Amino acid sequence: MNLAYLWGIFLGSLHAMVPITLTATGEVIGESAGLFNIGLEGIILLSAMTGALGAEAAGPSVGFLVGLGTGFAIGLIFGLVCTYFKGVQLIAGVGINLFSAGLVTFWLIHLGVPGHHAVAEESQMVNISTRYGDFSPMIFVAIALPVLIYILLFRTKLGLKIRAVGENPQAADVAGINIHLLRLLSTAAGASLAGLAGAYISVNWLGSVTKEISAGRGFIALATVVFSGLNPLLVLLGGFIFGFFDNLAVWVATMPAVQKVIPWQFVAMAPYAVTLLVVTGVIGRARFPAAMGIPYGRE
Amino acid sequence: MKQKSDQVEGKDDIILAGKGLCKGFPGVWEHLILDHIDIDVKAGEIHALLGENGAGKTVIANCLSGFYTLSEGQIYVKGKPVTLKSPGDGIRHGIGMVHQELALVKPFTVAQNIALGLSTSDLSFPLPEVENRVRELSENYRLYIDPLARVEDLSAGEQQRAEIIKVLYHDPEILILDEPTSLISADAEHLFEALNNMAKMGYGILFITHKIEEALAVGDRVTILRLGKSMGTRETAKTDKTELVKLMFGEHTPAQLERKPVKSNNIVLDVENLEALAANEEPALQGVSFFIREGEILGFAGISGNGQSELAEVITGMRRATKGQVIIHGKDYTNHAPREIIRAGVAHIPEKRRAMGVIEPMTAAENVVLKDIRLSPFSKGSFLNKSQITRHTKEIVSRFGALVSDLWKSQTRILSGGNIQRLILGRETWRMPRCLVAVYPTQGLDAKAIDHTWELFMRLREEGSSILLVSEDLDEIMALSDRIAVMSKGRIVGIFEGGEAKREEIGLMIATGASKA
Repeated sequence: MNLAYLWGIFLGSLHAMVPITLTATGEVIGESAGLFNIGLEGIILLSAMTGALGAEAAGPSVGFLVGLGTGFAIGLIFGLVCTYFKGVQLIAGVGINLFSAGLVTFWLIHLGVPGHHAVAEESQMVNISTRYGDFSPMIFVAIALPVLIYILLFRTKLGLKIRAVGENPQAADVAGINIHLLRLLSTAAGASLAGLAGAYISVNWLGSVTKEISAGRGFIALATVVFSGLNPLLVLLGGFIFGFFDNLAVWVATMPAVQKVIPWQFVAMAPYAVTLLVVTGVIGRARFPAAMGIPYGRE
Repeated sequence: MKQKSDQVEGKDDIILAGKGLCKGFPGVWEHLILDHIDIDVKAGEIHALLGENGAGKTVIANCLSGFYTLSEGQIYVKGKPVTLKSPGDGIRHGIGMVHQELALVKPFTVAQNIALGLSTSDLSFPLPEVENRVRELSENYRLYIDPLARVEDLSAGEQQRAEIIKVLYHDPEILILDEPTSLISADAEHLFEALNNMAKMGYGILFITHKIEEALAVGDRVTILRLGKSMGTRETAKTDKTELVKLMFGEHTPAQLERKPVKSNNIVLDVENLEALAANEEPALQGVSFFIREGEILGFAGISGNGQSELAEVITGMRRATKGQVIIHGKDYTNHAPREIIRAGVAHIPEKRRAMGVIEPMTAAENVVLKDIRLSPFSKGSFLNKSQITRHTKEIVSRFGALVSDLWKSQTRILSGGNIQRLILGRETWRMPRCLVAVYPTQGLDAKAIDHTWELFMRLREEGSSILLVSEDLDEIMALSDRIAVMSKGRIVGIFEGGEAKREEIGLMIATGASKA
């Protein structure tokens, strides 16, 4: 195993890190404000679809915007249900997942080949080629965003307000903050990053849409958020760890020597098993907003 | 600090007034929570709002500060009618409220909590200015607080100071304080001094309390509230304790309760050297020992929060004892499951009636048979016997005079606290339990319901039940108890025979926590 080989794994890990880091960073905003969105998986899936369609219609940049917009729209619906209408967050989130799974499956059939749709080469986002390899521009976004969100949450008044509505909405209400609106916008902003992640997968990274394209990344992002204890900088680290194993699994599974001994399904389990281990090790130590998951009402 | 004194011309400037304030909550149909209340606060005065728990004091405060919206009525600030739709509106009109459940974000620092309410840009980071200003306010009002301290690390008294500073930060002209001494009984003098200073500076202060002495000590005027109705306003200089008691409680004179001496020497509940931790892992009980005989009422007096709740929870199996024994009828039941303790004949009227006494989303009938549901005739095998349950519930509801519209349809949530307590009393006492642990059983009940409860307890006593009564109301303790134990800081600091007990002596012991000499 030489250095170039290891560098290849590292580069692959960076690309696999992007969707998880983006999604988890978004979810950190939402959870800080007290909304837990289990529908991230569905948002990634749906945005991968809409992003691909957008890219094919008007180019990769538009595809990304459409993905972002899809996430924002779903986030708005989720947020409305869970704030003004005091719905149960878990149910609303599960609803998103079911809706997306159904819609994408249907759409793929509608597009021709059931279950799979390759995004045309010219509609995909072009990676930046350097002598060290090809980098997706989204890698830099995925590294910069957690830092920006960290500054937003911990170094601005808006961040204070977001964390306050998640921790003690009553106190925030007394301080004159519009609880419902702030929670709604926080979760919608978070969901739009999941949308961006979806578009990245189909328009840039994998270049195709399948009905399993999100492959549990929404749930792994949720686990990453737990791992981070709502610190966006740790999301970056967590995202890389999971990205590394995600990528490693593909790498290992395709090695001829391994293929003969271990069925690839077992190797593909690795990132999920690691997730489980890390999260069970972390849960209980991380501190989450006291009012997370609880609808707010004054009287 | 803005100079306020120039605004005070005479002492009669009404800066905040409410006329015909009404508030009803959806589903609570028994009575209006607020029933046409008139109240006003003048600049430079402290106006005390006095009433029992459940009288509606907090609701008035929440309406006047914009936290609740009024069902009817009009609020005036400096004579101008205003509509308050949110606490933000209240702040803009110069009304600041210090909530009883302090409205602070616990993991934040004092300065961060204050920064939350500022109208500066969302992308700004105003903490340095806030810190300086807090130090300044701290100094001016002698409410010392470190702006960089995390709220959860502060003592109750400090948290309250932080809350007051937070409200003062917005330069209010009217300050509403909801039961400010409930957390800081020891430190109250300090607060009163600060409030008097503020009144002199021209603030109008509405001070909410259920303690008559406090209302008299700190207020210039006092408005008395009973079950959502105003019983009138008095100048504190022209009224006294007797009159206020009458206004607050109605013509409820503690009944002269007939009692025969305790006949039996059988010990029903024997507690030895009990120790337990509170929810915050601090020691809540430290070597508590006592016994209760058959047909005896042992009253636990003391300010709440001195271990009474934990004691009741340990005895009923809801909290672990770390040391010591709970012996019921000669058998050790320490740290046994609640169900076994119920089977041993211990009934429990819990402190938090909505949280622990009933399951709010369930119906009245379901709650009434909650503890007997496994027994015949209420169930056979896995199936409920609905007609038997209905019959039984009807009997309890009518015997205890609970107002319940539909036994099987309406959720218990919509009942008033008093009606829920009637259902709990019925459920816990209809079998004539051998032992009853009753925690604040009459809190928030009206005079008639209190009388009924007391009579019930005396009847149970006659039948041979042993009763452990926890109450903050010394009159109740004195009227019912055969013996009186005083608790302070998790210890029993004295046990008196009911007959020989002097009110003053017990009161002093409660206040100081000192043991009997």
